[in-house]
Amino acid sequence: MPGYKRTERSVAELYRDDPERADALVWGRRDTLKGAGLAAMGVALGSAIPFARHLPSGMLPAALAQGTAPQFLQMEGKARLILQGERPLNAETPEALLDDDVTPADKFFIRNNGSVPEPAGDPRAWKITVDGEVNTPLELTLGDLEARFPLVTARLQMECGGNGRAGFSPQAAGNQWGNGAISNAEWTGVRLRDVLRAAGLKEGAKFTGHHGADTHLSAQGPAISRGMRIDKAMEEDTLIAIRMNGQPIPQMHGAPARLLVPGWPGSLSQKWFTRIELKATPHTGRGMGGTSYRMPVRPIVPGSRNNGADFADMESMPVRSVLTSHAHGARLPAGTRALDIRGQAWAGDLSVRAVDVSVDFGQSWQAMAVAAPPNRHAWQRWSGRVAFPSDGYFEIWYRATDSNGRMQPHAAANWNPQGYGANPISRAAVLVG
Amino acid sequence: MLAVGALLTATVALAQDPDLARRQAEAAAEIAARAEEETVLAEGEGRSETFAYCTACHNTALIRRSAFTRDRWDDLMDWMVEKHGMNPIDGEFRTTIVDYLAQHYGPRARGPRGGNPFLD
Repeated sequence: MPGYKRTERSVAELYRDDPERADALVWGRRDTLKGAGLAAMGVALGSAIPFARHLPSGMLPAALAQGTAPQFLQMEGKARLILQGERPLNAETPEALLDDDVTPADKFFIRNNGSVPEPAGDPRAWKITVDGEVNTPLELTLGDLEARFPLVTARLQMECGGNGRAGFSPQAAGNQWGNGAISNAEWTGVRLRDVLRAAGLKEGAKFTGHHGADTHLSAQGPAISRGMRIDKAMEEDTLIAIRMNGQPIPQMHGAPARLLVPGWPGSLSQKWFTRIELKATPHTGRGMGGTSYRMPVRPIVPGSRNNGADFADMESMPVRSVLTSHAHGARLPAGTRALDIRGQAWAGDLSVRAVDVSVDFGQSWQAMAVAAPPNRHAWQRWSGRVAFPSDGYFEIWYRATDSNGRMQPHAAANWNPQGYGANPISRAAVLVG
Repeated sequence: MLAVGALLTATVALAQDPDLARRQAEAAAEIAARAEEETVLAEGEGRSETFAYCTACHNTALIRRSAFTRDRWDDLMDWMVEKHGMNPIDGEFRTTIVDYLAQHYGPRARGPRGGNPFLD
């Protein structure tokens, strides 16, 4: 029916072109929703919005949010991930593919800063160098590592430092990740601290600098080289990993060895890991300093210019949750009044104390059950049931709270030019009937 | 039991395929090398210069996903020089590129999710 289709388009286009006017027309400037506006929005969504009057003024329904249709990765051994870019190759895992407690290789997000290197001919001969502020610089093959140090296995969440970046307004520079640049695989490796102790840390060993085999897209120098405070390097869960989910590490994820620095920006978990330097002063490799992996200490005006000189390095990642049982855009049978939902939640070095869910635009919240993590730095399963009072358009809002009581905020906080730390409450649209 | 055994065998076989790593590396290189036409960018003055200069290092996905003010595009030129080894870009050439980016990839209203799952 052409006339009907035109009406749908007009509302969506109005939001894209002039959201303030659209908001005024559709929702009204007053707190109550106009009858005509409700009808227009209902037509736009193809459904009534039972809790429309509770949608805060100025907020778009999640289903009307503008954006281009995503493209998807097609690669042997990888699931249908959202393609963020081809060069460098980056791909995000849709939230509904994160339902496994242990992330399988095919559903593991892809983050590259440069080119994917050629696979090593003989993985066991791969060498890792430890040098800088140590008593005895080491050069160890993977065979040496396994022979000399105890192997440990743990489920460790590893997340891109820019995960959630798409939540920032105005837009921040970088891959526009939703919440899907997160993984929770089962990693096996040796503790980095065991290797560092074998080399013998000097008094001046205060920071690390990490190096890998991937090259920058310009073919000039390394793709990325970051470092951290020595305290994190000496933590129990910081590993030189050689197996993922009991198998050799896939090429896309850093074979044959990578660092695993759980809870901190994924860029520290150097892929194709070749060398670690111990340093008296912070590392200065590519990806350090300025606005890179750094956040304002004194919040800045969103969208303003800043060179990041006063920023601080991002360390533990903020609390975040994903809904894995139902995809954004799920259609449910008419008459559905109760829905069992579930997902995962995590909080960097902390754990998750609570997950709350709202299906009425935040007017009321309901506590979900949250399982304890099987080990520190593993994500946690949450689950529960929500009720719908009628058929129609609903949004499931989900919000985690960390063990220090910090919740995911309603809007991404502490805007910064390269977009780190956005962890706003997520919204998934579902249509009943 | 048989079914479980078969499933396990299949999983192990897939993961231990000695050639999968090479095929994935080749697939990544193929995706990165995928040719792009200039017309993937919005039509306008400065498109050719922008396409040629930027795709020396990265593909246009980084441009197409972006929505920045002119000031922020201008800052990014310096950032790429400083952090990513780009050849410095100045004068009229810089103006052409930054103007093009600001005009065609400027700020836009965006919501928390892309697209409308119930339409289109």
